[in-house]
Amino acid sequence: MKKLLAMVLACALFLGLIPAMAEEVPSVAIVVAGTLGDRGFYDSSNAGRQALEADFGVRTTVVECKEDGSLYESSLINAAEEYDVVVPVGWQFWDYLEGVVADYPETKFIFIDNGLDGVGDNLMSIIYKQNEGSFLVGYIAAKMTKTGKIGVVGGEDAATINDFIVGYEAGAAYANPEVTVMKKYTDTYEDPARGKDAALSLYGSGCDIVFAVAGKTGEGVFEAAAETNNYAIGVDSDQKFINPDVILCSMIKRVDKSIYDVVADMEGKFQPGQIWSADMATGYVDVGYGTDEMPQQISDDLKAEVEDLKQKIIAGEIIVPTALN
Amino acid sequence: MDVIFILQNTLRTATPVILAALGCLMTNHVGMMNIGVDGMMLIGAFSAVMGSWVGGSWLMGLAFALGFGLLLGLLYGVFVIKLRSDEFIIGVALNIFAGGVTTFLLRAITGQSGTFHAPGGDVSTIPQLSAPFLDNVPVLGQLLNNHTLLVYVSWVLVILCWVLIYRTPFGFALRAAGEHPKSLRSVGKSPEGMQFIASLMCGMLAALAGAHLSLGYLSTFSENMTNSRGFIAVACVIFGRSNPPMVFLAALLFGFIDALGMQLQDYGISSALTSIFPYVGTVLMMILVVLRSRAKSRRKASA
Repeated sequence: MKKLLAMVLACALFLGLIPAMAEEVPSVAIVVAGTLGDRGFYDSSNAGRQALEADFGVRTTVVECKEDGSLYESSLINAAEEYDVVVPVGWQFWDYLEGVVADYPETKFIFIDNGLDGVGDNLMSIIYKQNEGSFLVGYIAAKMTKTGKIGVVGGEDAATINDFIVGYEAGAAYANPEVTVMKKYTDTYEDPARGKDAALSLYGSGCDIVFAVAGKTGEGVFEAAAETNNYAIGVDSDQKFINPDVILCSMIKRVDKSIYDVVADMEGKFQPGQIWSADMATGYVDVGYGTDEMPQQISDDLKAEVEDLKQKIIAGEIIVPTALN
Repeated sequence: MDVIFILQNTLRTATPVILAALGCLMTNHVGMMNIGVDGMMLIGAFSAVMGSWVGGSWLMGLAFALGFGLLLGLLYGVFVIKLRSDEFIIGVALNIFAGGVTTFLLRAITGQSGTFHAPGGDVSTIPQLSAPFLDNVPVLGQLLNNHTLLVYVSWVLVILCWVLIYRTPFGFALRAAGEHPKSLRSVGKSPEGMQFIASLMCGMLAALAGAHLSLGYLSTFSENMTNSRGFIAVACVIFGRSNPPMVFLAALLFGFIDALGMQLQDYGISSALTSIFPYVGTVLMMILVVLRSRAKSRRKASA
């Protein structure tokens, strides 16, 4: 009797597996380190998930860890138990992935925003050339500043954030070596009031354009810009819509597109053990100016210069320094 | 390093802490240490933005915040005073509840997550005030002008709370409820009643602190935006021994340390280090409090 039951159960399990194997596009779990609603990085990854669900009708989910370190590992494990592909979004997962990836060899992992190579043959990493996009917005800021000082507010003193800042500084120096770049770190991605504090102190020191690289903390930077009649630059998504009057442009990381492209074509694009560097040449990093209905503070001439620079970066004529090794 | 910036930043950082601390010291006087002020702030911040959005006016936002603050104070009072639960456990529960309920309601009511973005324009925010005659005064003008209404309200409240606690019969009853409930009962007043009133006041003041953060200083609500400011307020209350002007100074000191940390980044000091300054300051304050009270009891013993 027991044997029969076991066989029935085994058959049921096997039958249950068939539809999963027959599917062309696998089920996907996005696990984000922070919370959704940053109108930037995490929301972008979620948009990729929504597009996959809409286009292929696959089962997807999104899990938020709310910057709570104790949830990182368990969220990864829960997702790996239930979904074919797990997409950890945020460098914070670095420490936990090695163990989880080894424990779930059947599950494919796509690690966003940080590179792990040689960990299992079911993990690929996607990193972004945010330094290239930041170079362009740094160039724009340095060309447009009237005070000769521009600023940047970073979420924390970490390699990925510093990669933005290094690119921004290089772009500013390329445009005009006289321009000073000041920076502040807020040490939180979730506190807009602190972002406003940091930005107000930058504007107070004479900066007239501040680049926000701090998730939700950046919302405070935009508020500070509006209050002091200065300008800001958005990050990760085209954030100009948040306040078109003060946000000049945004440095875009197409996290959504990169996730979509890999998951939609796992056979061709999933390269286990590899780090894929999504760059400007492939269109995953760019500058966004919002839509035509929004007020455009950047002149068409400057936009054309930026387009030229973009081609130079793509052609390898300009090598943008990086904070990632 | 510009001293004016640091002082301006000090005031900005200190205001929400001051308002929350005024609430917390009320409950402290009646013998309840309310560590749930952080959660009360968060719900205050959320309800202020929702009120302003739904009602179309910042006054509506303030009314919402005060209303929900009152409700939270009632809730805290019912559990701690009426049902005699542990005040710390209820405080912790309140903080967790606040994080969950604001996230849930934000998504349920507006369909947005993370940060609230008013569909069709901005929400009405608490106006900024300034006295034109101060504009020409170099330092004072920069320091005292162009703050939102609640900044000035917080200064007035510090004085009002001090008068209320130390100079009125109500204040005597309030303190007696915490220090010696029996004596209060012997004059025919209910210590529990005073505790309830303190709890309601705490809820309203903490909610006001949240409203300042979301609708005064910023114009948006974002999940967990209080970022533990309520706990700093609790520390300031202990350091200032629940005396409003002293608590005010403690909050300013905290704000100053934080602002100094932000400025020191310009001198190449790591932000990871500067961001722990306020917490190191808090620990030092606590050590000072303990040493002071020890010295006092020793003096009493030798006398």
